[in-house]
Amino acid sequence: MTSPLYEVRNISKKYGSVIALDGADFQINAGEIVGLVGDNGAGKSTLVKVLSGAHKPTSGQIILEGKEVSWNSPRDAIEAGVETLYQDSGLAPHLTVSANVFLGREKYLPGLLGKFGFLDNKAMNKEAHEDLERVGIAVPASNRSIAQLSGGQRQAVAIGRAVSWASKVIILDEPTNHLGARQAGEVLEVMKAARAKGLGVIFISHTLPHVLAVTDRIVVLRLGKIVANAPTNEFDAERLLGTITGLNQLQ
Amino acid sequence: MSTEQSGAGLAKRLFGNQQFLLLLVWFAMVAFFSAFNSIFFSTAVFGNILLDWAPVALMAVGQTYVIISGGIDLSVGSTVALSGVVTAFQMQYMMNSGRNQWLIIFVGTLIAAITGTVIGLVNGFLITKARIVPFIATLVTMGAASGLAIVYSGGAPIGGGPDKAITLSVPWLGPLSTPGIIVIAIVLVCGLFLHRARFGRYTFAIGSNEFAARTAGINVNRHYMKVYALSGLLSGLAGMYFYCRLGAGAPTSGYGGELDAIASVVIGGAALSGGVGKISGTVLGALILTTTTSGLIIIGVAPDWKQVVVAVLIAAAVLLQGFKSGTRGGSR
Repeated sequence: MTSPLYEVRNISKKYGSVIALDGADFQINAGEIVGLVGDNGAGKSTLVKVLSGAHKPTSGQIILEGKEVSWNSPRDAIEAGVETLYQDSGLAPHLTVSANVFLGREKYLPGLLGKFGFLDNKAMNKEAHEDLERVGIAVPASNRSIAQLSGGQRQAVAIGRAVSWASKVIILDEPTNHLGARQAGEVLEVMKAARAKGLGVIFISHTLPHVLAVTDRIVVLRLGKIVANAPTNEFDAERLLGTITGLNQLQ
Repeated sequence: MSTEQSGAGLAKRLFGNQQFLLLLVWFAMVAFFSAFNSIFFSTAVFGNILLDWAPVALMAVGQTYVIISGGIDLSVGSTVALSGVVTAFQMQYMMNSGRNQWLIIFVGTLIAAITGTVIGLVNGFLITKARIVPFIATLVTMGAASGLAIVYSGGAPIGGGPDKAITLSVPWLGPLSTPGIIVIAIVLVCGLFLHRARFGRYTFAIGSNEFAARTAGINVNRHYMKVYALSGLLSGLAGMYFYCRLGAGAPTSGYGGELDAIASVVIGGAALSGGVGKISGTVLGALILTTTTSGLIIIGVAPDWKQVVVAVLIAAAVLLQGFKSGTRGGSR
C-alpha cells in the first residue's frame, strides 16, 4: 500500500483549556475527494487551519508525500502545493479579479522595473482570465473589482484561484455556501475536474446531499474526534446525519 | 462597455472622477479668495502655498499608505518636531567642528530621516508585536515624541546650523525651491510604488481584507512595519524641510501635522476603513487644505482658526464620502 498524499496523525489542538481537536487522524490520496463533515464546534475549522498552515497543532504529525512537514504560516503550505479556500473571506473586495487571483504571487515587469516590484497587470489580467476559464466557471472581467461581483461570481473567483494554484491538495471550506443550485452544481463539477487532474480534494460542507453526491470517502468529526472514516457508498443521508449528531454509530 | 460618446456621457464620467472634482473645488477656492483680496492671485502667494504644501504633502503621502492599509498614524506631527530638533543638534555640532556646509545638510537630512524611521518602526512594533490598535499605538508615540522634542530642546528652537540650509529654501524654478522639487519627486515615486508596484498592491490588499492577504501568504506584520516606517521616514524628511525653512529645529514645528495629513488624505478620497485611496487625491487634498489655510489668513481670519477649519474639512470630506457610498463613512 502506497502512503497517502497528505495526512495528519494524532493531531491535537488546544485553545487554552478548550480541546478543539483530540488525537485526530486524517488522510487523503491523490485523485480523491474526501468529505469532511461534523456539527458546529466539532473541530472542522480547526482541522482545516492545521491542514492549511494557519494554526500550529498542539501535538501530532503532518505528513506530505511521506515526509513529515511543519507549517509556520499558510505561505509554507501554499508553497508546498496545499491551497485552501476559506469560508467567505478569502478575497480582497477592493482589488480586481486578477489582483486577487495573483495575490501573493504577482507577476512583474521585465527588467529593472520588475526588480523594484513593478507589476505586469496586463499579463496578470490575461492569465487570470485563462485560469478561471480553464477551471470552467462563469468568468467575470479580470479588471473588475470583487466588490462589483455577485456572490456566485465571487465564489467562482475564489475557487478558480485555489484550483489553478494548487499542485497537490486543495481544501475547500464550505465552497457551496450562499450559492444557487446551478452554481453549486458548477462548483461540484470543478471539484471533479480537480480530482481528474490528480489533486487531493478536501471538501468541508454542511450540505450533506452535496457531500454524498461528489465525494469518494467521508470523514466525520464529533467533539474533536474522528468518529467515522468510510467510503461514501457506505453512507446514506440518514446514516450520515446520525453519525454526525451521534445518535447512531457506524458499525 | 463605454459606448457613450456624447457630451453628456463625458460630463458624467468627469464628474464621477474624484480628481476632477477636487480640481474644481480648488479652482473655486482660488476664485473665492481672489475675489476677496486680489493679492491672493499673485505668484508670491502661490509660492507661499507651495512652500506650505510640501511638508503637508510629505506627511500626507505616508498617511495615505497607512490609511489604505486600514490604520492611522497620529504621530506624524510630533515626528516632524522631534526629527527637526534631533537633526538641529547634530548640525549645530558639525557647524562648531567646522565641517563643510553641504556635508552638514546631507548628514542632517539623513539624521532626520533616520529619526523619523525609528519612530515609525516603534509604531510598527507596538502594532504588530504588542498588538495595540494603530490609533492608540500612534497616540502613544505622538505624545512621547512631542514630549521628547520639548525636553531635548528645552522648548526653544535649536539654531546654529548651516546658513546654506535657509538659502536652499529660496525658489528658483518658478515658485519651486530645491526642497520643494525634492518633495515633488518623492511624491511621484511614492505614487508609482502605491499604484503600480507590489508594495502598494499589498497595502491595498491588507486594508481591504487582512485575512485574505494573510492566507495568500503575504507577511502582513512585516508589511505593517514597512508602511509605518515609511510614514515615519517621510515625516522625518518633513522635519528637515521645516528646518530649512526656519533655519532652526523647533519643537513646535509640525504642530497639528497629523490633522493636516489626515485631512489631506480623506479630502483626497481615501476611506478611513481601508482599501481605498489615491496619491493624486492626497496631493490635491493637501493643496486644497493649504490653499484654504493661506486664503483665510489673507482675507483676514486669525491664524488661530486654522485647526478649526481643518477639523471642519475632515468632517465634511468624511460625510461626503458617506453620502457617495451610501453608508456613513468611517463608522464601520
